[in-house]
Amino acid sequence: MDPKVAANLGAAFAMGIGSIGPGFGIGMGVSKAMEAIGRNPEAADKLFTPMIVGLGLAEAVAIYCLVIALTLIFVGGG
Amino acid sequence: MLGKLLGIEFHEISMGAEKLFYLGPFPVTNTILTTWMVMAFLIALTLAVRRRFSLVPGALQSVMEIVIETVYNLVRSITGEKVGRIIFPLIMTLFLFILTANWFALLPGFGTITYHHVPIFRPPNSDLNTTLAMALITVLLVQVAGIVYRGIKGYLKEFITPPILAPLMAPIHIISELSHILSLSARLFGNIFGGDVVLTVIFVMFPVLIPAAFMILESLFGLIQAVIFAVLSTIYFSMSTAAHETEH
Repeated sequence: MDPKVAANLGAAFAMGIGSIGPGFGIGMGVSKAMEAIGRNPEAADKLFTPMIVGLGLAEAVAIYCLVIALTLIFVGGG
Repeated sequence: MLGKLLGIEFHEISMGAEKLFYLGPFPVTNTILTTWMVMAFLIALTLAVRRRFSLVPGALQSVMEIVIETVYNLVRSITGEKVGRIIFPLIMTLFLFILTANWFALLPGFGTITYHHVPIFRPPNSDLNTTLAMALITVLLVQVAGIVYRGIKGYLKEFITPPILAPLMAPIHIISELSHILSLSARLFGNIFGGDVVLTVIFVMFPVLIPAAFMILESLFGLIQAVIFAVLSTIYFSMSTAAHETEH
């Protein structure tokens, strides 16, 4: 296979498969946070920061995939 | 890669920062130039606020006080009063620099004004060197804080807990400390560089109206990434210093 094509395919798979987990993680995090706010609306301010940090950590996994994909596209494949 | 998309000429996107000129033996890249701009802006802003410092704050001073107080309360709520006071300047500096740098990237002229086919301005955080430098400083100071607050013995003891599994746990602890560098730097770099690429592609495909929506999103991400960097660094500091109190 042509290295350029292989690099682009690799980037597509890295991003596509790599976003599944973080997508689930972020969805679960937000849904639980919303549930908690629904049960106890006064806690909304306290929940916000931990939720954002958790989302940042979950999102980081997708960002690693993005870095790998971008590296493959712009640097890889000669 | 994006040199010609839809028949429109556009500057090449590259992972690394592009060299603009040489200052003696040191190459000056477009991210360094933008970093200097951000620094100059922050210094000028600080001096402007300090010059008219008063008990009854003016508009500018009020905004700065709100920002600083919010971050100060956040840091203190995570680490506690004593440690919070000491690490607050570092956290605030990181937060303000990252936030300003991210929002500077949305100004007109970024990525569009070119010199020899190289954009003159480029968001500082879309260079892995910038984010890696900030992550290295943070993680190094976290280790220093751990040694200062727990003593060298307590600091080393942390690496071999539980003691029975010492040979197994020590490498894991060391890797987990080192991974903080990777996660802090790669997250910020990936977000900002990815956002930059997305904005460029959108600008090429739809030059009017639609980029505005993405720029609003980008400004939100810029804030969130600054908050996450600051909060995570604070949490690392609190982890390395807080075990002291639970041990006794």
